Amino acid sequence: MSETAWDQVREQCPHVDKVDLLVGLPTFNQATTAETVTKSILAGLKESFPTLSLLVVNVDVGSQDGTSEIIKRTVGNLVPFALVQPLTEDMRVNPFAVNRLSYSGMPGREEAFHSLFAITERLEAKACVVIDASVRSVTSDWMTLLGQVVLEKGADYVAPIFQRRRYEGSLTNSLIAPLTRALYGKRVACQTGGGYGFSGKLASLYLQKDVWTGESARFGIDSWLTTVAAAEGCQIFQAFLGAKTQDGKATGADVAGVLAQAVGATFHYMERYEDVWESVSGSTGVPEVGQRAQREAESQAINVERMVTGFRQGLRDLLPIWEIILAPDTLAGILPLGLSQEDDFCFPLPLWVQTVYDFAIAYHERLIHREHLLKSLTPLYLGRTASLVLETKDGGYDEVERAIEQGCQIFESMKPYLAERWRFQ
Amino acid sequence: MSEMWQEAMLEAFREMMRRTALFFPKLMALLTFLMLGAVIGWLVKLLLIRIVKALRFDALCERMNLIPTLGKASVRQPASHLLGRVSFWVVFLFFAFMGVDALDLPATANLLKAILGFLPHVVAAVLVALVGILLGNFSSEAVLIAAVNAQIQGASLIANLVRWGVVIFTTAMVLTQLGIAKEIVVAAFSIIFGGIVLAMAIALGLGGRTIAKEALERRLRRKKTDDEFTHI
Repeated sequence: MSETAWDQVREQCPHVDKVDLLVGLPTFNQATTAETVTKSILAGLKESFPTLSLLVVNVDVGSQDGTSEIIKRTVGNLVPFALVQPLTEDMRVNPFAVNRLSYSGMPGREEAFHSLFAITERLEAKACVVIDASVRSVTSDWMTLLGQVVLEKGADYVAPIFQRRRYEGSLTNSLIAPLTRALYGKRVACQTGGGYGFSGKLASLYLQKDVWTGESARFGIDSWLTTVAAAEGCQIFQAFLGAKTQDGKATGADVAGVLAQAVGATFHYMERYEDVWESVSGSTGVPEVGQRAQREAESQAINVERMVTGFRQGLRDLLPIWEIILAPDTLAGILPLGLSQEDDFCFPLPLWVQTVYDFAIAYHERLIHREHLLKSLTPLYLGRTASLVLETKDGGYDEVERAIEQGCQIFESMKPYLAERWRFQ
Repeated sequence: MSEMWQEAMLEAFREMMRRTALFFPKLMALLTFLMLGAVIGWLVKLLLIRIVKALRFDALCERMNLIPTLGKASVRQPASHLLGRVSFWVVFLFFAFMGVDALDLPATANLLKAILGFLPHVVAAVLVALVGILLGNFSSEAVLIAAVNAQIQGASLIANLVRWGVVIFTTAMVLTQLGIAKEIVVAAFSIIFGGIVLAMAIALGLGGRTIAKEALERRLRRKKTDDEFTHI
């Protein structure tokens, strides 16, 4: 695919040999948002990079609604533009990666990123900014925030941070980000999608890594971009991009599927980077750019009762599976939770951290089928989220932030528990 | 008279000795085969246990949920040891049958040939049973987790139904493979399977019509409820 993509770029832009900045637009049936997003990108390029050599590449993975035509028409002759479309078998969606499709909400997203990284490498671009065409809230500032940091401040990877409502992104906040922070010592929010900035060096590194095939390819690209950058010791920045309004965003209909994707990718890379994270202790913050958005005290519609019910049902029906996965003292801590009243329900943070570490070890030890293991974590995650909501129901956004930070610190302080059992279980 | 009696006695004795002399080597052959079977079986068992342990067969069986299943059948040994024991008895029986064949008795004539002819069916049946058990456990676990995550009441019941469905189907296949009461098995399986499907269809049609309608509406119209986990 990458060779084909490069051939298509050469054919359409024969005079472009080298660029400073490559802007990538992976698309799939996003005709409704394509024009707005493209206009914002063009405005951002004009404002922030008027003198740089640029190339905008739209990798369209088979839109049937004229998305690529809209983008081509909007770009016109303002900046060099190339459209890359699937011509080979390689770009077809892997029929076995159903989770990946549902998680990213876009087929062939990984192949599209791979093509963009390959073109970045070929054109020796200093920076590559990738924007999701499905995000309605893209503004011209995004280009500045994601591109300038790479070009002027030497960032390798610019991760997005979005304005979120209270409790939004609970999986990331209560598991993915604290675990990533404890493992690799980088305080990254681990938010995904919308837009990313990469240095040319990091794009080449991603291409060299064995992340595009085999077991790694089962996980959606958004679930490992940050992890790999953190584990490889890249210079990470975070950019406040404001709100993210997205079409076709994964809803909560398949919590277990999303959880299996995100947590599975984190556990998978724990195995690959065990030599890295075992030697890391403590954590440091990463530089941030952009204006921290005003926090919204309003929370998502959360049904605590349903989450507690989900936890209790898990405790009743999945106990034989949890007995295999969890350490006896972890299970002994979880069992009494089934008896507590809904209002008094409390899943203590240390117990949650121990649970996550037990699941990571069980994943590593392959105690049961890995997808079953990951999905059986769902009721426990619901229990911990319900507990977080009950603990902070009278507080505002800051109260929730404090609870999340406390969780991060406990993940760090209990890391020896993980490290000791990881190798000597 | 006395001579005739003596002659008859001697003749009987000679005949007996001749027959014994003829049978003794065969008996020795049987005993030798039994001893060889025990020794070679033990060696095969030892070797196989070492190989499968090196290949982490026990962990694989644990992952496949085979050990708890065997535990339910009161088999509480590691899978590698179980495989070792089975290999010992297969080798031992193979030699024992050779020994019995060596006796050259009219009753056991062609015994080994008949057993060897049936062996492929037994091997196939064992493989089918093993795959069936593994598939039953795997499917049941997958269904249980999916049903719990979807917060469906009676998740365990659904998972057990799936497991037993696969086990019944496997049993029917094993019996057919072994050629045991083929017609009865096929007929019984068809009746049971058809009966279950018919019962479920009637139950859903009469008792769960509203639930089915609501579920279909929710799925097809993608009606978003307020209590979806959108905060994830």
